[in-house]
Amino acid sequence: MSATVALPFLEAMVPARRASGAVAAAAPRRLVCIEMVHGSAGSSAIGVKKNLWAPAATGRDFDLTPTSLRSLEPFRDHLTIVSNTDVDPANPFTAKEIGGDHARSSAVLYTQAHPKQTQGGDVQAGVSLDQLYAQRFGQDTAIPSMQLCIENVDQNGGCGYGYSCVYTDAISWAAPDRPLPMIRDPRIVFDELFGVLKTGTTRSERSERLAEDRSILDWLLASAGRLQKTLGPADRSRLADYLEHVREIERRIQIVEARNRSGELRELPAAPAGVPDSFSEHVKLMFDLQALALASDVTRVFAFKLGRDASSRSYPESGFTGTFHETSHHSGREDKILNFAKLNTFHVSLIPYFLETLKNTPDGDGSLLDHTLLMYGSPMGDSNLHNHKRVPFFIAGRGGGALKGGVHLKAPNGTPLANVMLTVLQALGLPELERFGDSDGAYNIEHGQHARGD
Amino acid sequence: MTTLKTIVVMVALTAGLSAQHGKGTAETPSLTGTWNMGLEGGHVIPVALVLKQDGDVLGGTISMPTQKIGQTVDVALKGGLANGAFALSGTVEGAKDPTTIEIKGKLNDEGMLEGTVTMSGRGDGHHDMPYTAERLKERK
Repeated sequence: MSATVALPFLEAMVPARRASGAVAAAAPRRLVCIEMVHGSAGSSAIGVKKNLWAPAATGRDFDLTPTSLRSLEPFRDHLTIVSNTDVDPANPFTAKEIGGDHARSSAVLYTQAHPKQTQGGDVQAGVSLDQLYAQRFGQDTAIPSMQLCIENVDQNGGCGYGYSCVYTDAISWAAPDRPLPMIRDPRIVFDELFGVLKTGTTRSERSERLAEDRSILDWLLASAGRLQKTLGPADRSRLADYLEHVREIERRIQIVEARNRSGELRELPAAPAGVPDSFSEHVKLMFDLQALALASDVTRVFAFKLGRDASSRSYPESGFTGTFHETSHHSGREDKILNFAKLNTFHVSLIPYFLETLKNTPDGDGSLLDHTLLMYGSPMGDSNLHNHKRVPFFIAGRGGGALKGGVHLKAPNGTPLANVMLTVLQALGLPELERFGDSDGAYNIEHGQHARGD
Repeated sequence: MTTLKTIVVMVALTAGLSAQHGKGTAETPSLTGTWNMGLEGGHVIPVALVLKQDGDVLGGTISMPTQKIGQTVDVALKGGLANGAFALSGTVEGAKDPTTIEIKGKLNDEGMLEGTVTMSGRGDGHHDMPYTAERLKERK
């Protein structure tokens, strides 16, 4: 059996003639696109008044306290909140499309394109933002991009209202007719990242290794030890820490697999053995895998789908036990809207875990957080109305200087979210891009000036 | 099918209809077109309502959700306008018991339809659901 492991950025990888300053300049930009379904409580009329999503103040003196973003306070200097934008392509365009908001919306968030209503193989949406970036900047890495998810998104056929399930399940589109499958099982992600499935091992060999509970790193430690002897002290320490993180993550996956194979009753009986029943444990495991992959430059682009439309999952850790879909249908009642806000707050509260990891990971002249741009949003606004106005959206990280952060911008009514995404793509290194989805101009993401083309 | 009965809607509108009747004049805009109707039944359920107005005669189709998520059944509607209000009714084809849908409403000052949908079937009594409907900007 053979296996490979990607390495973190080491000084030894820089040619001797290059000054250390050149290391900083070489740090690549990373992109993480996260989607959560069902909009937000803060997108409802009451939610807007109570600032349940967007802060009251724009500019730099915003107060996150009443919002579902409050857990991001330690990262406010890395935070760019853009509120009051719409995702019009998720709306119905014809009578037959009315009612299909849950079925088609996920395909829209990062494509900003209106999906073709079909249950057949002739699906059509648009190229997603993550893929536009990956097609330009992801080709130098072992894996151009990866697509991860938390919920079950491998359903076949139609998902209602004449829409194929791929519209519900895929947020990342390599081409308008090519949705990319999402990976739910952390074990698969781990093996993809560290080469086990790609280095000539057969499935039976892999099963044998899993059965023996042996670590991938057990195969690699010997050669890693040889490598460490050739490195300077800083690199040795960095490599040791990195390998320890990889080992730690593999150990956590093994624990989850053992638990799920023990015969104990599972909350998610149909989920693969590598999937933790706990939502937060699953999300954090996926974030740790992403951080390792970004640190080692195995890939620079992730799309991460946290939920699934019409999911009946509950999140007891949020302090509210109601199910997601039902709670999102709050009837416009304040008490129910506040319950829904608890779920939104809980979902966002998992992001700082990832941001902290990125912040603590050295990368070039700064941290991974400095060189990463994380987008979080939903294609739905007020889920009770199934509308796509005032959608929740924020960006964390600076994307290698693409954004300064520390600002809340409130867009003029009717501003397409696509305008913001177009600006982000331009800032990330695609300045020639003139349109994205239904954009009608760029949006000045530093100052909120709206530069519509019309 | 019983599922069709538990369907969503029910009508009974009592809104104070104050609009005007007629078609396509400055005072009385035509109702002809596709409307994205939000039925308030616990939460707001999006429903397609397609209308065709000819003078005081109104007809059309409503696509009612069934209990099976993501599936709808089209119900043909007939009715008319009087005193600024409209009323439509239709029967759900294929339902186990006769199921009738009635829609009453008016055009409000914001250009939206508002009123009540009532669904009635044998033994089930009837269910009323208020609604508002926004004209759909149809696009290809």
